[in-house]
Order: sequence, then C-alpha cells, then structure tokens
Amino acid sequence: MDPYKVIKAEVLDVKDETPEIKTFVLKPEIDFEFKAGQFIQFTVFGVGEAPFTPSSSQFEKEKLEVTIMRTGRVTEVIHRLKKGDRVGIRGPLGNGYPLEEFEGKNILIVGGGVGLAPLRALLLSLLHQRDKYGRILLLYGAKTPEDIVYKNEFSKWKEKGVEVLRTCDNPDNSWKEKKGVVTCLFEDIKIRVDNFISVVCGPPIMMKFTTLKLLDIGFHPSKIYLSMEKNMSCGIGKCGHCALGKYFVCKDGPVFKYSEIKDIEGIWD
Amino acid sequence: MKYISFENFKNLIREVSEEKEVITSFKKDTYYDWKKCNGDEIDLRGFRTVLPLKYFFFSPQENLIEKEKKSFFIVGARACDLRGLELLKKIYLDEPEDPYYKKDNFIISVDCTEFHDNCFCVLLGDTPWPDTGFDLNISVLEDGYIVEVGSENGKEFIKKHENYFRDASSDEILKREKLREKIKNELSKKLENRKIDINKLKEKIEKNEDVFKEFGSKCVSCSACTNICPCCFCFFLSEGNKNKIRYIDSCQFKGYARVAGGANPRKDIIKRFKHRFLCKFSYRIDMQGIKGCTGCGRCIDGCQGGINFKEVIIRVNGE
Ligand code: SF4
Ligand code: SF4
Ligand code: FES
Repeated sequence: MDPYKVIKAEVLDVKDETPEIKTFVLKPEIDFEFKAGQFIQFTVFGVGEAPFTPSSSQFEKEKLEVTIMRTGRVTEVIHRLKKGDRVGIRGPLGNGYPLEEFEGKNILIVGGGVGLAPLRALLLSLLHQRDKYGRILLLYGAKTPEDIVYKNEFSKWKEKGVEVLRTCDNPDNSWKEKKGVVTCLFEDIKIRVDNFISVVCGPPIMMKFTTLKLLDIGFHPSKIYLSMEKNMSCGIGKCGHCALGKYFVCKDGPVFKYSEIKDIEGIWD
Repeated sequence: MKYISFENFKNLIREVSEEKEVITSFKKDTYYDWKKCNGDEIDLRGFRTVLPLKYFFFSPQENLIEKEKKSFFIVGARACDLRGLELLKKIYLDEPEDPYYKKDNFIISVDCTEFHDNCFCVLLGDTPWPDTGFDLNISVLEDGYIVEVGSENGKEFIKKHENYFRDASSDEILKREKLREKIKNELSKKLENRKIDINKLKEKIEKNEDVFKEFGSKCVSCSACTNICPCCFCFFLSEGNKNKIRYIDSCQFKGYARVAGGANPRKDIIKRFKHRFLCKFSYRIDMQGIKGCTGCGRCIDGCQGGINFKEVIIRVNGE
C-alpha cells in the first residue's frame, strides 16, 4: 500500500456555512472509513493538499463531509469547487477520539469557530449510540452570529439530548444568547467534574483559555482532550512538519490528552 | 571474518558492476565525494564524503509514482553514515512504510583510516568504525581488507563470490583492532579527550538560552546543515501534475512550521536553531530511541554563517 496514494472523490454538494466557511460533501471512489478526530489530506489535483478533520459521523459510510475555512492558497482554490468536481483525499490519518474510553462518561465539548468541525464528527458519532454515554454538553463560541457554523443543526442536537450553550464575542441586537468568549459559558453550567471528560477544539488562544478554565474547575489534565493543529504535510510521521516537542501531531495526535503535552514549550503558539 | 586482497577486491567490484550500479567514495582534492565505479581506482582509505549517503536512499526531489526503483551497491560508507541511516530507517520504514525508501541497497562500509577536521563522532561516544547497519564492513590493512559480515545478504554475497576471499588470520584480526584503537585515540586526542554524556545533554539544551542566542544569531536560515546531515529526514509533500512530489525541506526555514491560519511557533531564528538540537538530542532519543547526530561534522563544513555545531554542543554541555 502506498500511503501517498490519493483516493479520488466527487464533490456531491457544497454548503455555505459562513462567508468564509463551506462544507464539502464528498463521495470517495472506494470505501472510506475513519474515526472521529482523525484527519485527511484534501488534494486539489495539480494545486496542493491541506489537512482537515472530517465533520461527518464516523458511522456514515456513504459520504464524507469536510468543513473548510478560507485561509490560504489551497483553501482559496477549494472554495471555488463546485458540485461534480473531482478531488482527492488521503487518509484517514492520525489517532482520532478514543470513543471506547468515553463510554459511560459525561462529555463536555467546547468548540470555537470552525473548530466545531471535528467536534461535530464526534458529536454525531456519539449520538449514533446515544445511550452509551451520559450527559453531553456542547459549549460553542463564535465571533458573530453570522460566523456560527452548522446553524440549522443545533436544534436537532438538542432534540437528541445534547445540552447546548452558545455565545458570540460581537453579537448584533438579534442575538438572544450569551455574549462574550466561550469560557464565560462555564458560568452557566452546573457539573461535577468527577465523571466528566472534556474535548476541546478551536483557535489556539481559545484552546489555551478553555484548558486553563477546565483545570480551574477541577478537570484532571488526563481528562482534557485537545485537537492540535499543525501544518501537516505527509500525515504519516515521516516529514517532520507537524513536530510538537517530541511528538509528530499527524501520527501521535492530532488528539492529545492535555497531560501528554502540558510540559512542551509553546504548545499554544 | 574474511580477508580479501586489494587486487581481488577490484576484480570483485568489476564483476559486480556488470550487474549493478556500484557507487563508491573517492578522494577529490582534499575531500571525498561519491561516484559510479566499475572496480578501477578503488581506494577505501580516508574519511566520510561531503555529501551524506542518505540521498542514495531517497532523493532530495522525487516524483512519488510507481516507478522502477533501482537499488545501489554502495562501497565506502562510513560509520557516521550508517548511524544516520539507522535513524532514517526508523522514520521511513516505521508503519506505514514509505514505499519509496530504498531499503534494498547493498552496503559495504569501511573503517575510517583518517578523519576530517570537523569530525567528532568520538565526542558523542561513537566510534570511527561501524558495529551494525552494513552488509559487509571493511577494515584496511597494508595489502588487503578484513571483511566482516553484518547481514544475511552480506553472508550470501560472500558465499556467491567465495573464490575471492579467504579466512582472516587471528593476526590480521588483531591488527584490525589495533588500527581501530589507534584512529580512535587520535581523534579523541584532537577533541582534547572530551566526552559528552548524551543522557544529560538533553536537559542542558532545554535550559540553555545564551549559547543558542550567541550561535543562532549567526544563522542565515540557508538549510545547508539539514540538507547535508545524514540524520535529517524532513521533507515537504507537494502536488505535481499527476502525482505527489517530495522535496527535501528544512526546519531552519522560517515558514516551515507555519499553519494555514498564520500561527508560527518557530518564526524566531533562535527557536529554530535550538529546535534542531532538541530534535537531535532529545526528541529523536525519546521517540526513535536513537540520537539524531552522528558527529560527522558535515553541518560545520556546510554552514554559511560560520557556525561550528561541535562548539555549540561543547559549550552547552559545559566543562
Ligand atoms: S548535526 Fe551535523 S554533525 Fe550531527 S549528524 Fe548532522 S551534519 Fe553531522
Ligand atoms: S565522524 Fe567519525 S566515522 Fe564519520 S568520517 Fe569522521 S572519523 Fe569517520
Ligand atoms: S505531517 Fe509529516 S511528520 Fe507529521
């Protein structure tokens, strides 16, 4: 097997999430299975590839969704893709969330901005077998109401037994929910951390303050799962690009327990 | 242990070169380089080449498609090259295996009979001769070579070409040990008999700021040190017309660690410079169980900022 080989996929649909973020629905040419939290390299033939974590359920076998923010050269081209276009994916890569370890536990999910993408994969996978888990809380923060991804899905998640709290840094007048950064949502939740694990994904600064908050309310560092972002290239632990201290994020991560990485210098840089 | 005369060795390589592409190290002015060879002009004395052996195992720029993967028959690899390959193997052949790494090369290594001004393998506790990682290893005596077998392939090779070899005498083997001690002692002496405790070096590197600032400020981020290093393995995967292309890359480039969103944990040159040492003496030891520096001194040969990496290590280590 050639780990550099790309699997061809067809773009089935493109959904606008925000002005800068789109979700691409892909149909891989061959069966493609992954675990929530694992990532893929998204190839635009002749242009380049960039790493993303699928945002669809790991139990969805027919198609794959990838939510992508426009940030640079490759994502610029990806955003111009249309239904029917042919792209490539390489993967699945990395470790993913240890769903087995989450069984029987209460789960606190904290997301910021487009960082909700991998968490959506997690959430949908949890909801696929809802009764295996205890309480599921989702705290989500975005800059403005317009920047919220998966706008129509929160109510569905609530119906399926997810406690959802949202906040915006800069809301307009129509916003009825919390105002402020994501950590201020902690004021509104009542949990006893004993049987909780927590999963965090978002911009580095948000992950940093969320982690500090979680520690503050009593979470053990080994009970905090972080999805680390690095500029993955090979995705299979060879090229060195994704080094985080001694780890290769593409292989040893991208999901880490905070306890594994807390002593590494500059993890939030 | 086997013995082969110089003349027989030439003939043997001539025979091999009819079937395989033989690459050997040779002396050019004051340094050593690699060339194709058909058995003539083989001289295995000396020290390591300027360019590391690694580029015969993966090329600095290569198209990753199913292609004919020609393997090489290498004569004249040095201990430091083989130690570098040990690390590369751990990276490239670890699951999932990189199918483009040429693990089928046949390697005849050789004990160093001299050393380069920048060599410091002994400082790191290594020897100027290899103990593993070769198919056959050669030690140079006055009239011929002592040959040690290091792999099944090496064993088969000798069997196939039996008539060129005879058993080495205990005298000859003793001579080899003496020659080895001699070169090691000479290099030790040149390094003022210093020894570095690799296990303690990691922490010293972590804690040190001043030495890295002092030397790192001279770095011009040219990537010569990583390109020329037998242990550096980093590359960048890019998209070609039909397939992936791999380009050798360097952690010393400013954009190397930058993520799409713009964050860059090592935009500062001093951080990048120090990262290289942490990678070699801390991260690789923790994760691959093997250090990422062989003390070959090539990075000193190549440095455009005039940085002496050996001095950096000595200074960080302290007296
Ligand atoms: S860091 Fe320098 S001395 Fe060490 S192996 Fe690499 S090139 Fe040789
Ligand atoms: S570093 Fe040691 S093994 Fe390498 S060429 Fe110099 S003396 Fe030989
Ligand atoms: S992306 Fe290449 S080592 Fe992680």
